[in-house]
Amino acid sequence: MVLRSLFGMIACIAVSAIAYAAEQAKPHDMSKMWQSSLASQQLSASAIFDERGTLWLAQVQNGHVMVSHSEDQGERFSPAVKVNAQPEFISASGETRPKILLAKNGNIYISYTQSLETPYAGNIRFSRSVNGGKSFSTPITVNDNLDPITHRFEAMGINARGQIYLAWLDKRDAVLAKNKGGKYTGIAVYYAMSDDEGKSFYTNTKVADHSCECCRVAMAIDNTDTPVIVWRHIFGKNVRDHGLAKLDGKKTQASELPPPQRVTFENWEVEACPHHGPALSISGDVYHLAWFNHGTDRSGLFYAHSVDGGNTFSTPISVGNGTRQAGHAAVLSMGKNVYLAWKEFDGEVTTINAMRSHDSGITWGSVQTIADTRDVSDHPLLIANKEQVYLSWSSKLEGYRLIAMPEEK
Amino acid sequence: MMKKLIIQAYLALLLALSASCVFAAAETQPLLRGSYQKIIAAHAGKPFIVALWSVSCTHCGADLEIFERLAKQYSNFNLVLISTDTPEQEAVIARTLHSYNLGRTRLGQKRPGKIESWVFADSYSERLRFEIDAQWYGELPRTYFFDDKGIASGISGVLDAEETERWLINHL
Repeated sequence: MVLRSLFGMIACIAVSAIAYAAEQAKPHDMSKMWQSSLASQQLSASAIFDERGTLWLAQVQNGHVMVSHSEDQGERFSPAVKVNAQPEFISASGETRPKILLAKNGNIYISYTQSLETPYAGNIRFSRSVNGGKSFSTPITVNDNLDPITHRFEAMGINARGQIYLAWLDKRDAVLAKNKGGKYTGIAVYYAMSDDEGKSFYTNTKVADHSCECCRVAMAIDNTDTPVIVWRHIFGKNVRDHGLAKLDGKKTQASELPPPQRVTFENWEVEACPHHGPALSISGDVYHLAWFNHGTDRSGLFYAHSVDGGNTFSTPISVGNGTRQAGHAAVLSMGKNVYLAWKEFDGEVTTINAMRSHDSGITWGSVQTIADTRDVSDHPLLIANKEQVYLSWSSKLEGYRLIAMPEEK
Repeated sequence: MMKKLIIQAYLALLLALSASCVFAAAETQPLLRGSYQKIIAAHAGKPFIVALWSVSCTHCGADLEIFERLAKQYSNFNLVLISTDTPEQEAVIARTLHSYNLGRTRLGQKRPGKIESWVFADSYSERLRFEIDAQWYGELPRTYFFDDKGIASGISGVLDAEETERWLINHL
């Protein structure tokens, strides 16, 4: 009896010792756990149609961005081609999805955020295919600061001249300020441009100081071929509204840039990570903006448009049902037609709801539910094949789905 | 007689060790569907704080620091910590909690305060979030102050240390 208890006791001490050891700060364990966290639920994907109506899909599987295409609107897909030959820890959930763009000459451009072992740290990676997606170039890191710090939440755009733009959130200035014993609210927004079809990128340029740390950046190209970006910015002490900037190459020499143009005014004063970035689409000279905010002045999901190049926006309209967590909107504009899709949750079922406008966002039709699921899912993405608009959406239970926007009732 | 005493001493030691054994087990309890309502029910009648945090949340450390200080100072501080990470991240969650002295106690260590830790254990995190608060969109940190009547007020973002302490003093 005593012997058996003794044995149990020794076993228990051994287990305790192991458990204790496991709790000690070991960088090795840390990285392992961080990596395991990255491996979970990589549902966020991107898709785009080419001019011939072929659908191109970029997803993340086992540390690789995988590109496949479909000739029948997502019914069947070609075998997927690996973008990065070496596996990497790639962010593909929530606010970060791998991006895919097509150039007029047939080139395929891919960008993604590579997560590093240090929490919050990452790199902006870029790869291209010049042979119609048969193979992809070895990815390059676009951020020219290579410290293991935040370079994440990238947005990618291409203009009619074929120039490729990447904009992202970057912690280098915050680190610099803190190393000097100073204070720096939030992090910064940077961008880089390539005008040699993605062979290389110019030096990184800072767009703004003091962005929020963990919301996606939205990018759209205006009618002068200039990329326009919108992101959640920190105004004043801690007001997390949205800022807008045009990546027109006009550089400021100041080490600390002036605040960007403020485009939303809900006054959400919070020292938190909302994980809830904006969406932007431009058609002709109209900017269409959707965003989420939880401010003292207004709360919920909103839409507004600008007809003066983003200087002023229409009175925001509320989108979706605020008691059902309406959020994570996508917006797509084509001519005067504007489409909005967003997520809602009723306690059991996640739905993607959508509505459209035929007059550049002045009036809106009724809300339609176009897809649902009962487990975790990606944020919605809207894409178009000629005039037909589709929801591109991944969910844990159903996998990837391409769903045509139904006819209006 | 002597032998009996030795056995008794052994048994007492065993009991202590098996208790420590329980503590050395999982740091967090899995938060499943319905768990949150049970947590609230279990604390009914006493004021307590529910704090939602994550190892990947830039601002959450500031709140954990406040809780560390309050737990040290107020032995009857009731705190429910809920990590929105996954059970697979147990090791890093445990390490973070221990670095703020908010982890489970181990043999020979004494931690005042009544602290329990949970972790989101359902991939459908939307549903867990909704059970906690239909008006909470997942921003972190998120904290709920429950009074002795069970009425809660929710706050997003880093807490004000003084205000939190004042709340605690007023409700103890």
